[in-house]
Amino acid sequence: MTLQEAQTYLLQRAREKGVDLEALATGSRELTLRAREGQLEEITGAERGGIGVRVVVAGKTGYAFTEELSSEALDWVLSEAVENAGLQTEMDGFLPEGRSMGRHDLLGEGLSVPLEEKKAMALTLEQEVRRDERVQQVGAAAYSEHEYQTELASTRGAAGGYRSGFAYQMINAVMSEGESIKQGFELKVSREVSALDPASTAQEFIRKTGRLLGARPLKSGRYTAYLEPSAFLSLLAPFLDHWSGKQIIEGKSRLGDKLGQKIASEAFSLYDDPDHPEGLMNAPFDAEGTPTRTIYLLRQGVVESFMHNSQTANKLDQELTGHASRSYKGVLGVGAHNVIVAPGSGVGLKDGVLVTDLMGVHAGANPISGDFSLQALGLKIESGEEAYPVENFTISGNFFDLIERIVAVGDDLEWSVMYLAGASPIVEIADVAFAGA
Amino acid sequence: MINESTAERLIERALAHGADFAEVYAERWKNRSLRLLDLEVQEATSGIEYGAGIRLFFGTRVVYAYSNDLSETNLLEVTDTLARLGGEAGKVDEKGAGGLDFRKALPEGRHAPELPFEARDKRWRIDRLSEADRAARVGPEIKKVQIHLLEWDQDILVANSEGLWTSDRRVRTRYMVTAIAENEHGMQTGFEGPGLAVGLELFDLEPPAEHGRAAGEQALTRLRAKPAPAGPMPVVIGNAFGGVIFHEALGHLLETTSVARKTSVLTGKLGEKIASEVVTYVDDGTIPHGWGSSEYDDEGAPTERTVLIDKGVLKSYMVDRWGSLMTGYRTTGSGRRQNYTFAPTSRMRNTFIEAGGASIESLFEGIEYGLYAKKLGGGQVKPGSGEYNFAVQEGYIIRNGRIEEPVKGAMLVGKGPESIQRIVAVAGDRKNASGMCGSLSGTIPVEVGQPHLLISEIVVGGEG
Repeated sequence: MTLQEAQTYLLQRAREKGVDLEALATGSRELTLRAREGQLEEITGAERGGIGVRVVVAGKTGYAFTEELSSEALDWVLSEAVENAGLQTEMDGFLPEGRSMGRHDLLGEGLSVPLEEKKAMALTLEQEVRRDERVQQVGAAAYSEHEYQTELASTRGAAGGYRSGFAYQMINAVMSEGESIKQGFELKVSREVSALDPASTAQEFIRKTGRLLGARPLKSGRYTAYLEPSAFLSLLAPFLDHWSGKQIIEGKSRLGDKLGQKIASEAFSLYDDPDHPEGLMNAPFDAEGTPTRTIYLLRQGVVESFMHNSQTANKLDQELTGHASRSYKGVLGVGAHNVIVAPGSGVGLKDGVLVTDLMGVHAGANPISGDFSLQALGLKIESGEEAYPVENFTISGNFFDLIERIVAVGDDLEWSVMYLAGASPIVEIADVAFAGA
Repeated sequence: MINESTAERLIERALAHGADFAEVYAERWKNRSLRLLDLEVQEATSGIEYGAGIRLFFGTRVVYAYSNDLSETNLLEVTDTLARLGGEAGKVDEKGAGGLDFRKALPEGRHAPELPFEARDKRWRIDRLSEADRAARVGPEIKKVQIHLLEWDQDILVANSEGLWTSDRRVRTRYMVTAIAENEHGMQTGFEGPGLAVGLELFDLEPPAEHGRAAGEQALTRLRAKPAPAGPMPVVIGNAFGGVIFHEALGHLLETTSVARKTSVLTGKLGEKIASEVVTYVDDGTIPHGWGSSEYDDEGAPTERTVLIDKGVLKSYMVDRWGSLMTGYRTTGSGRRQNYTFAPTSRMRNTFIEAGGASIESLFEGIEYGLYAKKLGGGQVKPGSGEYNFAVQEGYIIRNGRIEEPVKGAMLVGKGPESIQRIVAVAGDRKNASGMCGSLSGTIPVEVGQPHLLISEIVVGGEG
């Protein structure tokens, strides 16, 4: 069976049984080319698809999925989903009333480039990086592209689909100078292959990693922190769920009762844009078929909106925001599309530490309490100049205290997909605890 | 999933395109997941992952493709596409023309479940998990208890151009308890997550009440903890999950994935003394019912017990097929992958520091001021430089040889190759704990382990 046939089969079986069912199917394609020592060392080509259902029986919700599209497997999915629903104690689940959402193509011809050019992209990236004699080993120099088609249909009338995707270049290599060794990483992502340039990606890698060579220990103390865009986004990532309606209902958000209140510096505005020209996670509708729109999570430090799917909006009696998330293997959740730290009036480096990398975000940050202690790399800033690189130190504190101390935000956006898909300028934060030698 | 004649035709086709080696991997993986919050079912899901991966070697170049359409027509097409990507299109080779005679290896059932998933209904599971929930509520500060149960039943098949035909079945069960405590000082969590290659007998082997209580007590301890001190100091690391530090800072550096590319600082050091002589480090894929055990690896090779470091001397790396081809070292049954969407790479299985001769008390004696990292959380390492960082989940100050007040927010920061030389004493209470390890070939189940041990100096990051 094809995915669409499987979707039709499941809807029909559900109707026969009198079960409300929503079937989310995704088909995806991937091509990854990895260069090493002038050759394509590793090539991955892939096609993957699956279908996942959400059923609601007497107000109880259950899930199941399969990648095997035989009628036997689909019947198993339906019976497991109904059994799983029976375990629920909550009886206020529902499938939203759906409508026809049409078909959308967000990718167009973005990935339509001859294979030879894509191969050259990986090879050139490695070659360009190796030009710098401080580059010792190249772990990976890769070109990768991903394309996916999402199809949503429900017994309550939802029907629609969209196609999207992106390509990226990635370099991971070790640089050394004297005794100093630094491993670095650079990733450039776009919906257009033509926007990826191996030479500039290589230069960016060399600049970012090379400037950390010869790093010295940092003296423990409290400094002004200048977080580069990717570092700020990786610090933000574990705490974004405090704006999730789901977390609020589960009592795991500190912001549930803070709507309309000022919790952060006026310099800090944060929004989610599902239709940004450079957005990597654009979507015309969410995983339940709700149309998406831009919302402000924080406007000048004030909590303006939370993110909701139909169930959380209903429970909290707030407006639907189009933030239902679900993969065919997963359950209904709440998720952002493109999270953007609104550009400000600019940051002028004075004295402090320019934080270029944060490591261990998944382990060193407590997403519930807001506490974090993260290993960092960076540059000591003295009198507005990059004085010298620093290493072997951590920055720590509580995220919610930290965002009150944001002094200024830079004026241009840099995109990242490392810990969350989004964009940020450089962010200046006063009085941050640094622990080093 | 795939029959012999299909596998044979795929491999023949690949060899005819000029591949030096061809491998077909197929899997069908049924899994169930149950998430409870205060014993109310938040999520119950079931699923079937199903697909095949085809891997071809052209010299040391590897091409990989996967699909979940397992029909012969589709897989032949995938093979042709792969050969074209590998740049060998149109080449006709004599290799593989003679046909294959598969040598079949079936699992003996060394890690087979005693109590299969079908033997009990889903209500029974919730009843058993409720023991953990009740036990976790060790004080009024415990506001919420989250429990997550995972059940995996994975069938795999590997066939290759050397005539290998191996099937294996991996049944694994794990539950994770998170206790959330809150008072006027804030919110803190405690975590326990036992898992084994067993069925539902996990609930008898790892009693939910015991692990629930431990999670609850940990959350309370962290709630009264003060901010950790900062700076270099001696650190005693606890047993069991304490082993995660050397999993990250040492184990990953011994995988041929980084050794063969020379991105590991421990490349080319076989036979050299790289650690303190109290350190013997083992990776064992054969531990009966171990969370990271299996009879065969994901390249179809039997798993084994590999001594990596013997009394401080580097004896072996963890070697997969590609790693062996690149380095010449023999394979160690270490080729692993999350599922068919990943080509296998060299990975850890159950990795631990062997018990030593010191008493636990002696580790603390003589420490004027230091940190007892009783339980660690996750961490990260850069294999190129060996730089690592670990969150201390449960930590205490050591003052004049005594364990004193609890501290929170501590982070251990250092370089792996330096830290292993600074292990000055190892106790005898070695224990393993289960976890998930993420790397190039996906996220896979592993055990980490060690006895209590003393490191003469690590930089501790904290706010105090």
